[in-house]
This record gives sequence, C-alpha cells and structure tokens, in this order.
Amino acid sequence: MAKGRELKGRIKSVENTRKITRTMEMVATSKMKRAQDRVVAARPYATALADVISSLYSPDLAERFPLLRQPAERRHVALIVLTSNRGLAGAFNANLIKEARSRLVELERGGAQVDVHVVGKKGLGYFKYVGRALASQRTDVGDRPSAATAAEIVDGLMADYAAGRLDGVYVTYSKFNSALSTPPTTQQVLPVTPPEAKAGAGTSDAGLQRNYLLYPDAETILSELLPSYVRNAIYRALVENEAGFQSAQRTAMKNATDNAGDILNVLRRTYNRARQAQITQEIAEIVGGASALQG
Amino acid sequence: MLTVSVISPEAVLFEGQTESLVAPAFDGQVGILTGHAPMVTLLGTGELRLGAEGSGQRFRVQGGFLQVVDDTVRVVTEHASTA
Repeated sequence: MAKGRELKGRIKSVENTRKITRTMEMVATSKMKRAQDRVVAARPYATALADVISSLYSPDLAERFPLLRQPAERRHVALIVLTSNRGLAGAFNANLIKEARSRLVELERGGAQVDVHVVGKKGLGYFKYVGRALASQRTDVGDRPSAATAAEIVDGLMADYAAGRLDGVYVTYSKFNSALSTPPTTQQVLPVTPPEAKAGAGTSDAGLQRNYLLYPDAETILSELLPSYVRNAIYRALVENEAGFQSAQRTAMKNATDNAGDILNVLRRTYNRARQAQITQEIAEIVGGASALQG
Repeated sequence: MLTVSVISPEAVLFEGQTESLVAPAFDGQVGILTGHAPMVTLLGTGELRLGAEGSGQRFRVQGGFLQVVDDTVRVVTEHASTA
C-alpha cells in the first residue's frame, strides 16, 4: 500500500501547515484589533490640532511660514515609503511598492530629483533588488509605532524643507479605511495643506471663529503647531500602515487556512478510495482462493 | 464644572469633569476655572494638575497647546504621561 502511505504523509504535512496558518490568522486578528484601536485613538489629537490650526490660519500669514511655502517648481522632493518588516500578508507590500513606483515615475517625469526613504524590510528588499540608492532606511518600527519614531523620520526632512533644500515631501502608506479596505495611498506631507475651516458652520466648529485670547500670538502658536501637524501626519501613516498590514495578513492567512482545508478534503477522499480499493481487492483474492480450494 | 480632555498623539489620556486645572504654559503656570474666556496658549514642559491642590489627577506634559472654549478645555500635548 505504497500510495496510501505517501498520501498519509501529505495529509499530515498539510494538516501541520494549516495549524500554522490558523495560528497566524488568530494572532493577526488580535493584533489587528489593537492596531485598529490605535488608529482610532490617534484621531482626537489630529482633530484638535486641525481645529486650532484652521482657526488661526489666514492666507496672509502663510508666506511667513517656511512649512507653508508653495514652491514654484518641484526640483528635489522626498518620498517616504512605508512597508512592513514581515511578509505572508498577500499583496500588501507588492501593492505599496507598486504605488510608490508609479509615484516615483510621475515625480521624475515632472523633472524632480527624488530621494527615497524606506521604512520596513520588504520595501528595502525591493529597492535593493532594483538597485536604487536610498536616502535613508529603517526597519526598527515594530507593531506599535510611536510618535517619537514618526518625529525621527520626518524632522530632518522638515528642516530640509524649511531651508529650501527640498520642494516637497510625500508619504506612501496603506490607508486604513476599514479591515477590508486598505488602499495604498500617497499623501503630500509638505508643503502643509492647511486644514480647511469647515465652511458649513456645523455644530462641531461652533467654537472656531471666536476671538480667542492667544498666548503668545497666532504666529508663534502656528510655528509651533505646524511641525506637530506634520509629525502627526507621519504618525498616523505609520499606525494606519500597521493596521493595514495586520488585516492583510489576517486575510492572507484565512485564505491559506481555507485552502489547506480544501486540499485536505481531496487528499482524504483519495486516500480512502485507495484503501477501499485495496480491501476490495484482498476480499476478491480470498474468495477466489477459497473457491479454488473447494473446486 | 470644566469638561477636560488630555490628548496626546497616541491616545486620549483623560476625559472628564473637574473643578479647575493648572497647566504649565510656555511662560509659567496658568490656572483655569469655569467661565474662562476663550483662549489658546502654547504649553511648556511641566506638570498638569486637574482638580484642587492635593487631589485629582496629574500628568507630565511637554509641548502642544491648551484651548479653552465654553468651559471645555482641551490639553493637546506632544508627550504626556501620568505622573
């Protein structure tokens, strides 16, 4: 029963693989839940910051802030590409890299020199493979990105932008709309697009157009808050990217577990059929032998 | 009563009611009671105290701003931790 033993081995192997993928699915599910909570927890800060900036912002102030400078042409820009450190997440990283690549082409066609900053081993691997020099790289952003990490990533770029060495900063990440929708997105970080004061005069901005007492003054407050706003944009990108990764991994591992189940069904059926056939054959031989003796 | 929220980039650390608060503004401590005029001020580094002296919660804050509107206070800070 050589075929039967071989089938048994394969069944065992697929079962073991399924155990792994099922565990990974469960781990990713729980990590995704936590990453999702962090995406939600980051919202109040962004909202509060955007509220205050939009209520202080006026177009005549804009010229005085280097971060709001609108460059006439984009000669030298930076693109931050966020990817994950680990794989087994379906097309997650491939999609991010595809998005980054099309942005690169677009920016370079516009005549800009593009510095690429990569976060995550997977992005690093790709850019190494195509042989593109990277301006910076880091792989130490774990499951829980911190605001401090975001600051490290973007502070240098902000200084370069303020000094006029860069004309734009973009970040490519997977936007976390929901567990099922995490489209790769490229967002312009610099120059800062001032958050719009919501025009509709809804309930949420009742306090916006008041005459605030401002200490020290609008200009100083803005010059402090704009960098925070930029850092926060990066922080949110990191957090959303992580949530996107976990949900991609969960989906990939769920599919793998389901597929393993399908394969097992086929293998078990084949195995049982082979066993049945062998038993039938043995009975036929015994019956045949017995009747030969009687005859 | 004041409705206070203490917000850092990572999370909302506190949300609730308090009688008063003392915050480290960029140029010294600032105390807020009910009926304060609308205000936005930058924060420095120091201790944020909610409630009366010797009671209530404390936080270490660094940077960011404080906004007061209609007895609603938002302390939005770059770094915050419970002290």
